[in-house]
Amino acid sequence: MSATTPVFSVQGLWKVFGPKAGRVPADPELSALPPADLRSRTGCTAAVRDVSFDVRRGEVFVVMGLSGSGKSTLVRCLTRLIEPTAGTIAVDGEDVRAMDRTRLRELRRHRAAMVFQHFGLLPHRTVLDNVAYGLEIQGVGRAERRARAAGVVAKVGLEGMEQRRPGQLSGGQRQRVGLARALAVDPEVLLFDEPFSALDPLIRRDMQEEVVRLHREEGRTMVFITHDLSEALKLGDRIALMRDGRVVQLGTPEEIVGSPADDYVREFVRDVPREQVLTVRTAMRPASGDEAGTGPALPPTATVSQAIVAVARAGAPARVVDRGRCLGVVDHERLLGVVAGTEPAENPGENPGEHPAGNLAENSAEEPAKEVV
Amino acid sequence: MRLRTTAVAGTLLLLTGCGAADMTRQASPFAHARGARTVTLSVQSWVGAQANVAVAQYLLEHELGYRVDTVQIDEVPAWDALSQGRVDAILEDWGHPDQEKRYVDDKKTIARGGALGVTGHIGWYVPTYLVKQHPDITDWKNLNAYASLFRTAESGGKGQLMDGSPSYVTNDKALVDNLKLDYQVVFAGSEAAQITQIRQFAKEKKPFLTYWYAPQWLFEKVPMTEVKLPAHKEGCDADPAKVACAYPRTPLQKYLNADFSKQGGEAAAFLKKFAWTTEDQNEVSLMIADQKLTPQEAAKKWADGHASTWKAWLP
Amino acid sequence: MATATAPTPRAALPGVLRHPVARKLLLLAAAAAVLVPLADAHWSSGTWPKALTVDLTGPLTRTGDWIIDHRDSHPLFLHFLGHISNAVVFCVRAVYLLLLAAGWAGVTAAATALAWRAAGKRLALGTAAAFLACGALGMWVPTMQTLALMAVAVLASVAVGVVLGLAAGLSARLDRVLRPVLDTMQVLPAFAYLLPVVLVFGIGVPAAVLATVVYAAPPMARLTALGLRGADKEVLEAVDSLGATARQRLLTARIPLARRELLLGLNQTIMMALSMAVIASVIGAGGLGDRVYQALASVDVGAALAAGIPIVLLAVVLDRVTAAAGDTTGRTTGTGRGHRAYTAYAVGAAVAVAVAGRLAGRPDWPGSWTVAVAAPVNDAVGWMTGHLYSGVPVIGGTADWAGRFTTWVLDPLRDGLQGLPWWAVLLLVAAVAWPIGTWRTALTAVLALAATGVLGVWEPSLDTLSQVLAAVAVTLVLGFATGVAAARGDRFERLLRPVLDVFQTMPQFVYLIPVVALFGVGRAPAVAAAVVYALPAVVRITAQGLRQVDPAALESARSLGATPAQQLRQVQLPLARPALLLAVNQGVVLVLAVVVIGGLVGGGALGYDAVFGLAQGDLATGLVAGAAIVCLGLMLDRVTQPTERRTKKGA
Repeated sequence: MSATTPVFSVQGLWKVFGPKAGRVPADPELSALPPADLRSRTGCTAAVRDVSFDVRRGEVFVVMGLSGSGKSTLVRCLTRLIEPTAGTIAVDGEDVRAMDRTRLRELRRHRAAMVFQHFGLLPHRTVLDNVAYGLEIQGVGRAERRARAAGVVAKVGLEGMEQRRPGQLSGGQRQRVGLARALAVDPEVLLFDEPFSALDPLIRRDMQEEVVRLHREEGRTMVFITHDLSEALKLGDRIALMRDGRVVQLGTPEEIVGSPADDYVREFVRDVPREQVLTVRTAMRPASGDEAGTGPALPPTATVSQAIVAVARAGAPARVVDRGRCLGVVDHERLLGVVAGTEPAENPGENPGEHPAGNLAENSAEEPAKEVV
Repeated sequence: MRLRTTAVAGTLLLLTGCGAADMTRQASPFAHARGARTVTLSVQSWVGAQANVAVAQYLLEHELGYRVDTVQIDEVPAWDALSQGRVDAILEDWGHPDQEKRYVDDKKTIARGGALGVTGHIGWYVPTYLVKQHPDITDWKNLNAYASLFRTAESGGKGQLMDGSPSYVTNDKALVDNLKLDYQVVFAGSEAAQITQIRQFAKEKKPFLTYWYAPQWLFEKVPMTEVKLPAHKEGCDADPAKVACAYPRTPLQKYLNADFSKQGGEAAAFLKKFAWTTEDQNEVSLMIADQKLTPQEAAKKWADGHASTWKAWLP
Repeated sequence: MATATAPTPRAALPGVLRHPVARKLLLLAAAAAVLVPLADAHWSSGTWPKALTVDLTGPLTRTGDWIIDHRDSHPLFLHFLGHISNAVVFCVRAVYLLLLAAGWAGVTAAATALAWRAAGKRLALGTAAAFLACGALGMWVPTMQTLALMAVAVLASVAVGVVLGLAAGLSARLDRVLRPVLDTMQVLPAFAYLLPVVLVFGIGVPAAVLATVVYAAPPMARLTALGLRGADKEVLEAVDSLGATARQRLLTARIPLARRELLLGLNQTIMMALSMAVIASVIGAGGLGDRVYQALASVDVGAALAAGIPIVLLAVVLDRVTAAAGDTTGRTTGTGRGHRAYTAYAVGAAVAVAVAGRLAGRPDWPGSWTVAVAAPVNDAVGWMTGHLYSGVPVIGGTADWAGRFTTWVLDPLRDGLQGLPWWAVLLLVAAVAWPIGTWRTALTAVLALAATGVLGVWEPSLDTLSQVLAAVAVTLVLGFATGVAAARGDRFERLLRPVLDVFQTMPQFVYLIPVVALFGVGRAPAVAAAVVYALPAVVRITAQGLRQVDPAALESARSLGATPAQQLRQVQLPLARPALLLAVNQGVVLVLAVVVIGGLVGGGALGYDAVFGLAQGDLATGLVAGAAIVCLGLMLDRVTQPTERRTKKGA
């Protein structure tokens, strides 16, 4: 596998629940039906409908949607915890759906580990043994797996709690155990299924920062399922927004917020503080005259709110500078326009429409992991 | 069908891969507990039988050094248990011709142990205080005239004839039908229930008519007089549906497991010789049932006073 | 699909018919209108028609004779059943000898250590006291006999139950097959199992143990399956996501997660095994039950009680300890090494005590340490029955009540049922069962009742049914009243709890004599015995159901100013409806379970036939009566079974 092979590559994935589910994706007439009609016609529910995307090495790929949008089913299809109905899934180029039992177990044991919404801890085991559980399943000897587990327990900040049982921990601590259990097997990719939605807001923020930290330190690929838009925007390098089993838009947080693909997405992102998501690359205008030489310099990835601070301090428009080259300038008008939402985006993505997977990728290809303020 | 069961059994034999195990030659797991010589005696549910067993047990333990286990089993199942060797002896049997033929004559797994010395008799009884008021009540022909006296909620409009334990020999339903009596047989279901009810009636001097048997200690507490039924003749009770005569007088018998009879040593010899009178048995029964002595205490008390009787039983 | 209801046309129906009950009854009436004239024309008779009965007397008697004649010669017995029988005897004997060898001191010490380990200090003290009490009552050896028999039976039940439970828990198809069988087995009265087992194995310990296993294994199987099926789905998913094999998943996750249910199953298995081990004294189980049974012969309530108390104590201790062990899930219990050290200490201490006991020459309970309870108990019972039996001013004595109850309740009920044409009785059952349950439960109920007719015991079955109905009615009235009182008063409930424990676990043989002494011989004392037996469970379920009513609902009622009576009537009772229905169902099942005991006090009918069959070794009568009781049980259970089945039987 080359460095550019996606970790997961999903094409035309369907998951249909119900009797004779296989006929739905195969039949163009049935597959085009809206959910309610599909159910009354066939008794089937399509949880995932014709979804395609790639997860790139080292990125945090967020799947976001309201409950019932099919996002949890989707992430379970990746390692066939739920058997997909149609479509292809490749992990590092290897066809997951063609894997036999042993190969599939291999995938789950070493390459993809999952963190669950309600933690999924074994109540009769101590924290240490829960963390070591994945290694135990792989057949790692007792002493070694405990030693390795102890290291991971320390990494997630649970030192001293090794001998407690899950019942004696708070929600946040339990999810740290869940995280540690997934990390202990040193997987290529971490799958998160709404891991923080059962936690209190403050603890949730701690945990989100924990994930950000881990990602920064290890650069591990992550697939993150959430129904919380701000969490998605905070964590995601790219976000796939799902509705009724389909991906309605796939793009960077900035694209989602800055150029919603349809009214549903627009409604969704309406209350997002745009200045914290949109970057000066979007907000800038070409430099005119001597502007290219004066004023504070900002990188193109700086958010609008950072720019506001800079512009306010300097009392003059700021330059957007990339590798010494001035790309453009942002003045207070442009910035206010972003905040007010009146400023039309300069480079809106084309309407993703039916095939959201292929189109937006280019825009964010070289975008480095953004910082969250 | 036979072939199939054999085939199934054969397969099971192959599966288990071991030899035969005859469960009819199997002792109670609670027997021989201390490695002593042990005898297991069957106790029937009535007190007379308890008295026999108590005295036999006392003497076996204290004079012959055996350890005695007792098991309470109903009469007919006791024959089966005796045949299987789960008990070694029955000391008081009221006559079970079918079982006797099957086990003693055909299978030869049970041996006769001689007479107990007590003669048993079953009959219908009314309390003696009632006879004093109505002297003619002791003839079955007059029973219909007194039917209303014996009426209870349970018997409805008819007089109540109370029967006891389902394990006892009884022809009462047929008798009531064949003698055209205006009575309803009410089964007390157990001797305990029957005795309790009789004593409650007696306490209030209420009239009652009951199936009962002698020897029985209850006569000492509640004097009862037998109602004369048509006389018993040999064979008159051959067809259970057409019985219209009194119950016979039965010399009570002892039975021993055949192997125990041969190899039982002193215990078997002792049990064969064990024989006493109705008075002796009643004395012990009364101590158990009325004075509430434990059977062992009662047996000791009796044995202390009747050494000459039991000395003759020792081998 | 188990709850499929009859296909109902959606066409416009008159208003009444939209109600499902009305619709069901209308359908039933339509079916009856067609079938009844047909049935009546063919077999017109008030009672069950002769043409529809199957006489099993001949075949059953022949089977019984064949078995007795071939038990010592046929290979089926020699090479299969004989080995089972011998194995049972061997195991029971081994345990018994071990217990005797340990001596009273050793057994008490070991039991106390075990209770301490499993349930803490208080229960350990209770356990020690209970064992010492068994000795003090002069019942040490019978207690050990019962314990030995129980130990073997419980181990076998657990083994059988876990295997069945694993099968049902892991395979949905097997679950569908096994579940109705296990559910049904749980409602069958214990006595129903005795005769078939005796037939094959003869009187004695093997038969008693096997009957106990058959009786006690179903709850283990049900709860194992329930525990496996009820495991937290996300935990299992997490285990899968880590790549566990099926075996790893079972051993490291599913079974440990089902720990609570497994221990609850063990608890119920032990309780049922104990009750069966006592009842099995009528087929030669020996032990405590046998002492109770023997005491009956001399009408000695005191002696029966002396043997009954150890049974109650054993039951309470075993129940509390296993229940406490089940509740410790998730509690910290030290580290592995601490456990082992503790266990080693406990075993060492128990062995030391046992050896000390032996050296002191006291393996048997010393005779001089026993307390004679029989005489004072007999006096007390005699005094009570003497004063209550008759002549109590104004309300009359218990004998009068019994007479009136027989004349005014039992007789009309029995005569009414027996007077109805047979098809009318079946129709009545269908009409009651269908609205409460589904067409399946109604059909089962009707078929079960019809089966009693086919067996040729229609009349006695209806007689028994009338007694059961009367007893259930009395039980429910008393039970609901007591249950409501217990739910409202904490102190009353605390007082009530030990009383309920005693009545629930006391062998029924013990209260047989007082019941006759109070109510005479007949159906009334049979009803009284049934009420005494069934009442505790009904009280308990009622009180529990009322207490578990959502506090928020109660609070809102209070905030609206509802009086306590209004709260009870308008909030608690409606919300506790499932619990109350469960109480009805339990009441029915338990009342039926002591029908045979009723036979021992003059209840007659099926109970007497069953006792007769056992006493006379008469398979034809006994088995048919037993089967009819089973059918009645099935019928009543289905009629009173609302939607969801209970997971627990009794307490």
